[in-house]
Amino acid sequence: METLIQSLVSGVLTGSLYAMIGVGLTVVFGVMRIINMAHGDLVMLGMYGAFWAHVGARVDPFLSIVVWMPLMFLFGMAIHRFLLRKVVLGGELNTLLYTAGLSLFIANLALFVWTGDYRTIKLSYAVMPLRPFDIAVPIPLAISFGLAIVITVALYWLLARTDMGRAIRATSQDAEAAALMGVNVERTATITFGLGTALAGGAGVLLAPSLYLYPTVGEILVAKCFVIVVLGGLGSVPGAIAGGILLGIIESLGAVYVSVAYKDLIGFVIFLLVLLLRPAGLFGVGKS
Amino acid sequence: MTRGLVALAIVALFAVPWLVTNTFFMHLAIMVLMWTALGAAWNLLGGFAGQVSFGHAAFLGVGAYATMIFHLKLGLAPWYGLVLGGVIGALVSLPIGFICFRLRGPYFSLATLAVAEIIRIIAINWETLTDGPVGMLITTLPELRVLGQPVDWESKTPFYVMIATIVVAVIGATWAITRLRFGAYLLAIREDPDSAEAVGIDTVRTNVTALALSAFFTALTGGFYAIYFRYIDPDAVFSIALSVEMVFIAVVGGLATAAGPLIGAVFLVTLAEVFRERFQVWHLIFYGLFMMLTIRYLPEGIWGRIGLLLGRRG
Amino acid sequence: MRLPLALGVLAALAVAAPAIAQDTLKIGAPQPMTGPDAPFGDKFKKAYGLAAEEINAAGGINGRKLEVIIDDHQAKNPLAATVAEKLITQQKVLVLTGGRASGQAVEIASVAQRLKTPYMVDHPSADIITAKGFEWVFRNNPTGSIYPMAFNNFISEVPGAMPKSTAVVYDNTVFGKTIANSAMTFLKSRNVPIVADEAYPVNSLDFKPVMTKVKATNPDYLLLIAVATTDAILLTRHAKEIGVTPRAIVGFGGGFGVEDFAKELSQLADNVYSSAAWSGNPNDAATQAFYNKFHAKYGIYPKEHEVEGYAAIYIIADALKRATLTGKIEEDREAVRQALLKTELTTVFGKLKFGNWAGPLGDQYTNQNIYSPEHSVLAQWRGGKLLNVWPKANAEVAYVFPDPTLKR
Repeated sequence: METLIQSLVSGVLTGSLYAMIGVGLTVVFGVMRIINMAHGDLVMLGMYGAFWAHVGARVDPFLSIVVWMPLMFLFGMAIHRFLLRKVVLGGELNTLLYTAGLSLFIANLALFVWTGDYRTIKLSYAVMPLRPFDIAVPIPLAISFGLAIVITVALYWLLARTDMGRAIRATSQDAEAAALMGVNVERTATITFGLGTALAGGAGVLLAPSLYLYPTVGEILVAKCFVIVVLGGLGSVPGAIAGGILLGIIESLGAVYVSVAYKDLIGFVIFLLVLLLRPAGLFGVGKS
Repeated sequence: MTRGLVALAIVALFAVPWLVTNTFFMHLAIMVLMWTALGAAWNLLGGFAGQVSFGHAAFLGVGAYATMIFHLKLGLAPWYGLVLGGVIGALVSLPIGFICFRLRGPYFSLATLAVAEIIRIIAINWETLTDGPVGMLITTLPELRVLGQPVDWESKTPFYVMIATIVVAVIGATWAITRLRFGAYLLAIREDPDSAEAVGIDTVRTNVTALALSAFFTALTGGFYAIYFRYIDPDAVFSIALSVEMVFIAVVGGLATAAGPLIGAVFLVTLAEVFRERFQVWHLIFYGLFMMLTIRYLPEGIWGRIGLLLGRRG
Repeated sequence: MRLPLALGVLAALAVAAPAIAQDTLKIGAPQPMTGPDAPFGDKFKKAYGLAAEEINAAGGINGRKLEVIIDDHQAKNPLAATVAEKLITQQKVLVLTGGRASGQAVEIASVAQRLKTPYMVDHPSADIITAKGFEWVFRNNPTGSIYPMAFNNFISEVPGAMPKSTAVVYDNTVFGKTIANSAMTFLKSRNVPIVADEAYPVNSLDFKPVMTKVKATNPDYLLLIAVATTDAILLTRHAKEIGVTPRAIVGFGGGFGVEDFAKELSQLADNVYSSAAWSGNPNDAATQAFYNKFHAKYGIYPKEHEVEGYAAIYIIADALKRATLTGKIEEDREAVRQALLKTELTTVFGKLKFGNWAGPLGDQYTNQNIYSPEHSVLAQWRGGKLLNVWPKANAEVAYVFPDPTLKR
């Protein structure tokens, strides 16, 4: 029983971080139909942001999120404005490969600048986990979980209550109709990409204290992203959140009750089944 | 005229080993041809049928492993294993096709990626068949006589001839498809799957055939990989990076063109080597930048752009 | 069309080949200088650099200078074959070393065997490299299946240390698999029950689930095997977070022996054991002098990798000095191979003589260092330092067992 609860708790906590990574990817896909292969590398940038804030400026890594998310937002807008805008016209495949090139570029530039050394963030208050009811809850993961909820709520408010949010949702549902209704689709796309990048950066900041960081960590993250967003339905924000938590639980239970060797396989098989049987995602809110 | 040129190109292709004496350049030439074969095989499906697979490493790995397993566990000479591996690759592609072709666009791409990862994980864990992560190694290739002469496996020539033959076969198949009704079906499906179905084209069957053909050649090249490098392990032959590279070669050369993959492979293999030599730590940064520049400024590929320019003038 | 122009310039820049000095003796070393393994490539680069510098300052090889050419294989197998081929045929190196990870080393060994060039393996540990009868391949460091030797001796010789049960968690690579097999074969021969046998994919982000499973089996010993430093760090951290409480946590593999391990885990690293290829006998004066010299030059103390890389250059230099070189590259390579076969040497790594013998799992080794079984050491992390504790002759400090920090 203890084992089951511990697995579920670990699964949900890790899953909430997966969800954060997935949300950024899915928002971008919803509006622009871009599968951003460089998403994992944007997460990596966020991780380094938190690291340098901690080591260089002695700022608590979690606190640094208030700096990095806006900066990453601007960075994402710049990427879209100066790099992606023209490429998107060339079609899905070209965009996908372009972002693959971008991924290589960012990761290796980071490798050059920061070297390949593995780094972790050591928090003096987080060496040993909390143990409510004998269930281990690592402190950095618990803080990340809380912040992930805050960010998600903020994102909801943004999408539901602001004009910009309405424009994003409209473009996501039907770009042509949105354009006819007077939405500046181009500008919306730029802002959306900025938003997706900010979310990736935010996810990076939250991940950094629980994981290790090195310049090519993005490759591991990006494959998980795809599984998450498809589970939840490509383009759906609530779907990505549910997908992330679901993947966290699947991996956790799979490792405990089946075998770690096959835990990724279980994830991919479920991913395939969902694609085949419910291409709009488990919750039927994505775009097929 | 065109036929003469093609014949000349083939003669030139097979003359290379007798003109180039430097073994390292021969190695590079073999790499170029290996990537050409992979790019061209991918192009059969991705270029003509417009089904962008991100999991073609699965077929390369299956071909490589089939060749190795037949040789090391059953004692079958690897050149027979290579052909058998191609057939097995095609067979493996059938169920994958029937599953994945129910999906379109990015969903298809993600599904192929998932299938390739599943096969990789199975290859790592099914140790009785694949020896798991330890990998499989051929120490010496068995003796082979061609026209009474023993083949010298220490030289590059036999490998070059082998891969050049595969390249001619796959480019020949590509060329044939562009002339056949089958090719027209594929293009029709790529442009508009619904209309294609409406005029009576069985889209799933056509796509599955294209995939099987593509998988056959990819697996064949995988068999060649096993024979040439003599060592394979699951993470090396089933990697996502390999799949992406195949796509990139086809795109840089020009989608749905017969000669595109050759151009793409020449460009990328030499460029990667040159970058590695010249820029050291910087080379992958430049490689990424180059990928971005090519797609931004030559979205139809190098051969595609040449085709457009010629078309405009003529 | 500015792009084609730019590409043209790039190409032109690249074609002009670099001039290479002709009178040096060249050693080729394929290493990962970019990509995920880049930190390891850098360690070897430093070690080779220091060794070559010293040898050249002392008069070189019979008056000729030694040059180590490092070429990047990005930790990709086919590229390792390409690089080896290039070093042999283009750069005309006399002998190869390096490789770093086993997959790439197998490719290099295969090329070296075919192109008849000696390959002196300094670090890659997969048994297969010296177990396939490659007469051009030599290895100074112990094979993977020898890594657990010191641990095996420890539990056999220390009273009461024999495990009552063991959980084994290892990565799904050649390295992890080989060591796990070797360790489990020994434990089973002593009737120790293996209560968990878990192979995880390398670079896992989360080990809490597997540690949850391990905790439920309440093992007496926890053996962790990781080729990647990151995995080593997270395995240990998550084991302690979840609250696995064996009498000892024993790590196998490079990740458990590097400085980063202690730096990142701080007090969590305390008392964790590392059973590995050793980094030379620290009680030996020559080895200690090397540690200090290395520290003076680079500001870090050498570990396993640096010691192995440094020793490799000395082993090769020794063979080159004894070989009669004619200037004909094929004959010279054969002469170097013959000289390596006759090697009897003590380096900072330890004693060396190449021989053919059978390994602990029954592999028939060719040109494997016959002293390898002595080159496995059990060390323990103490206050940020990794100190040898077993065998006794090489111990720097007394072992702490059972690990008191693991009590609830």
